[in-house]
Amino acid sequence: MHVGPILRAMLRNKVRFGLLAIEVALTLAIVANCVSLIIDARTELSRPSGFADNDLMLVTATPFNEAFRESAYRDTVVDQDLTALRAHSGVARATNTAFLPWQGGGSSTQFRRDVRAERIRTQIYPADEQLLDTLGVRLVEGRNFTREDVLRNTERLRALNASDRERDATGRAITTVTVPAIISRAYAALVFPEGSPVGKTFEDDDGDRWQVVGVVEYFFNPYAWKIGEYVTFYPQRQGSYEGGTSYLVRVVPGQMDAVHKAVEQTLASVNDTRTYRIRTIPDVKRRFLGGQTLLVRLLTLVIVVLVFITGLGIVGLTSFSVAERTRQIGTRRALGARRGDILRHFLIENWIVTTLGIALGIGLSVALNLTLLSQVDGARMTPQLLAVGALLLWAAGLLATLWPAMRGARVTPSEATRNI
Amino acid sequence: MLLHNIWIAWKSLRRSPVLSGLIIACIAIGIAFATTFAAVRHAFTRHPLPDKEASLRYVRLDNWDPREPYPGGAADALPPQITYRDAMALRRSTVPVRQTASFRARLTVFPEPSVGRPTKEDVRLAHADFFQMFDVPFRYGSGWTRESDEKLDQVVVISEALNERVFGGRNSVGQTLRIETRDFRVVGVLAGWLPSVRVYDMTGNALSEPEPVYLPFGLVVPMELRTVGNSDGWGGRGGSPTASFAARLASGESTWVQYWVELPSPADEQAYRSLIESYIAEQRRLGRFGRPTNYRVSSIGTLMDDFQVAPKETFALLMVGLLFLVVAAVNLIGLLLGKFLARANEVGVRRALGASRRDVFLQHLVECQVVAVLGGAIGLGLAALSLRSLNAFMLDTTSRGDLFRLDLQMLLLALALSVAAGLISGIYPAWRICRLAPASHLKV
Repeated sequence: MHVGPILRAMLRNKVRFGLLAIEVALTLAIVANCVSLIIDARTELSRPSGFADNDLMLVTATPFNEAFRESAYRDTVVDQDLTALRAHSGVARATNTAFLPWQGGGSSTQFRRDVRAERIRTQIYPADEQLLDTLGVRLVEGRNFTREDVLRNTERLRALNASDRERDATGRAITTVTVPAIISRAYAALVFPEGSPVGKTFEDDDGDRWQVVGVVEYFFNPYAWKIGEYVTFYPQRQGSYEGGTSYLVRVVPGQMDAVHKAVEQTLASVNDTRTYRIRTIPDVKRRFLGGQTLLVRLLTLVIVVLVFITGLGIVGLTSFSVAERTRQIGTRRALGARRGDILRHFLIENWIVTTLGIALGIGLSVALNLTLLSQVDGARMTPQLLAVGALLLWAAGLLATLWPAMRGARVTPSEATRNI
Repeated sequence: MLLHNIWIAWKSLRRSPVLSGLIIACIAIGIAFATTFAAVRHAFTRHPLPDKEASLRYVRLDNWDPREPYPGGAADALPPQITYRDAMALRRSTVPVRQTASFRARLTVFPEPSVGRPTKEDVRLAHADFFQMFDVPFRYGSGWTRESDEKLDQVVVISEALNERVFGGRNSVGQTLRIETRDFRVVGVLAGWLPSVRVYDMTGNALSEPEPVYLPFGLVVPMELRTVGNSDGWGGRGGSPTASFAARLASGESTWVQYWVELPSPADEQAYRSLIESYIAEQRRLGRFGRPTNYRVSSIGTLMDDFQVAPKETFALLMVGLLFLVVAAVNLIGLLLGKFLARANEVGVRRALGASRRDVFLQHLVECQVVAVLGGAIGLGLAALSLRSLNAFMLDTTSRGDLFRLDLQMLLLALALSVAAGLISGIYPAWRICRLAPASHLKV
């Protein structure tokens, strides 16, 4: 089979084949970029938190009773709340913490090894001795907080913040304290690259020392500034009159609904001068990831419909070009060309067009990718992705040509001469 | 002539229903995707208060740590809000005709015990000018006066929904509402206020609904109110909830107040900018503002860009939608070419009977437009349907179910895109068919 005649035939129909090539090029550009965005979004969607997300629930009780302004009163109620929550048969663990996974933020601060070192940002949350077990994160080094840590540290920080601290010229407090801390392995690796952090300390801007007592294996809570995997927990009772008291509750698997229904009553039986807000972590997570979920769905729809439309376009144009050349086909058949020759002619013709389109499409994909990256955080277009896209389009192109080409091959010599 | 051409186009459509159907479907799908994604983008970029773009300005000051920039990447990044003490200092200026500091707190509202249990409500603290600055609509009464700001009157403005719940929807102006430990006099009830973005506070989730309760800003001191929003700070444990209230207000570099001013003319804006510069210089002598002078006096539109109110993904969607329409248009060229050339004989007859090339060209172009507008209309219908399901999805994940809609701008856009697609796709096939030599298509 000679390519020469095919090329010459195509050159007589530049516009038609040009259109087809452009359509293939645009399709490749759009599909490759959509897939790239989908891969990015799916990475976000499937990123584990390291917690038992499905069984977690956050309960906030906010008082409207002035007695709660007294920290001693509040502490008593916190202990009673926790006892009541843990007494529920559907509750596996309960902890008093301000940490709410999957809301896309939280609180953060910066620490450094010493005055000369660079500050490194981390998320930071107060925790009690039950937090790690409730979240379901594994301690890989050192120890968990003890009840003793929580009580002692709460007292100390309260005393510290009761009045303004005396400071030196650089803004550091004159008298400082040492706070026990549990950090994530990712943060440990940044601050203490040389090895085991347990027992070592870092400091905050006040000059207070934070001593690492434990390291958790993995932690992820989405946060701006790319500090999702860095966390520091410190032992402290959480709660205030204004913000209320928060509990993270881990339910026995399958008991979410039952606990959800009962939890308000449970807390109300301890003290009913409060309002309650109950959020399940699966729900918080679903809402947080809503945008990404939607993006994946929309882009998938775009890809499916687009490939369908392009396929239709190829079928349409090839049918048209077969129908138009019925006479030539008949003549060729009469002169000895076999059906296979005709079929091959159309397939090769299509292959040339698709290849042209793919070459153009690779350029377009990169251009579109760069345009998108100027606005959207995302990954660069990878050669692998383009290669897969090209292979798929070749296959789709051949498939879409096959039917009209086979119809062309069935043209008999007599048919061609019958009708002018 | 035009009507005649439209009539011919209609007849032609009816004659080859399958091909015509494909052509219309092709345009419809292209328009549906492009319009849907444009409407999604538009929902976030639409200006909520176009009349105020020229005069309302939002103030930001870089009071951050001299040793490092505000986190976020850019070297000239600055905190999204300002400190309480800077807000109080700015407020002394008489350059702005209106100005308000504001932030969001969360307080307990006590209805009459017979009406219901106490509830926690989001509360907006603001100055009297707030309501006029943001064109807040009132069902009953109005905002409070500047005098009330000065005297720390215990006055409150509530939303229509809260008024419904607490006062049964009647005109509650003059009634008393207990918030925390104090009694407030209702001075105004809003009239279903729901701007497309929470224009006065784009920190946090800019799509949130406006708060149900509004109190004079000055009450922050006697009531010891804290923000429930962002309070980025540096130095000491600036953002820590454990720092004492007094310490946070009087000193500290914790930023949690939003500051808006209304400056009627560019000259006023210039005057206000130099005022800020001299304030920064003065504070610098007291040891603050250790970073290079950096402040912003931004309009709503600028702020929407800076705070990235529109999720970046919506830009990607818009691009994808428009490119999709281009693919549909390219596809259309092929389909139209096939449809027109199949009719070559008929055109040959028309030409032989005296129709000029121009007549034939126009006739086919009109046919393309008829198809395009028909397809565009169907596409709009599809877009409306998909926006409805998108709204349902948003209602489920954000509690806003009215975000995406086809307003006049979107309708015009869809129309323009349809006409453009029809024109661009139609010109070449129409030109091809009008160039055909009549003789070769007439039976000899």
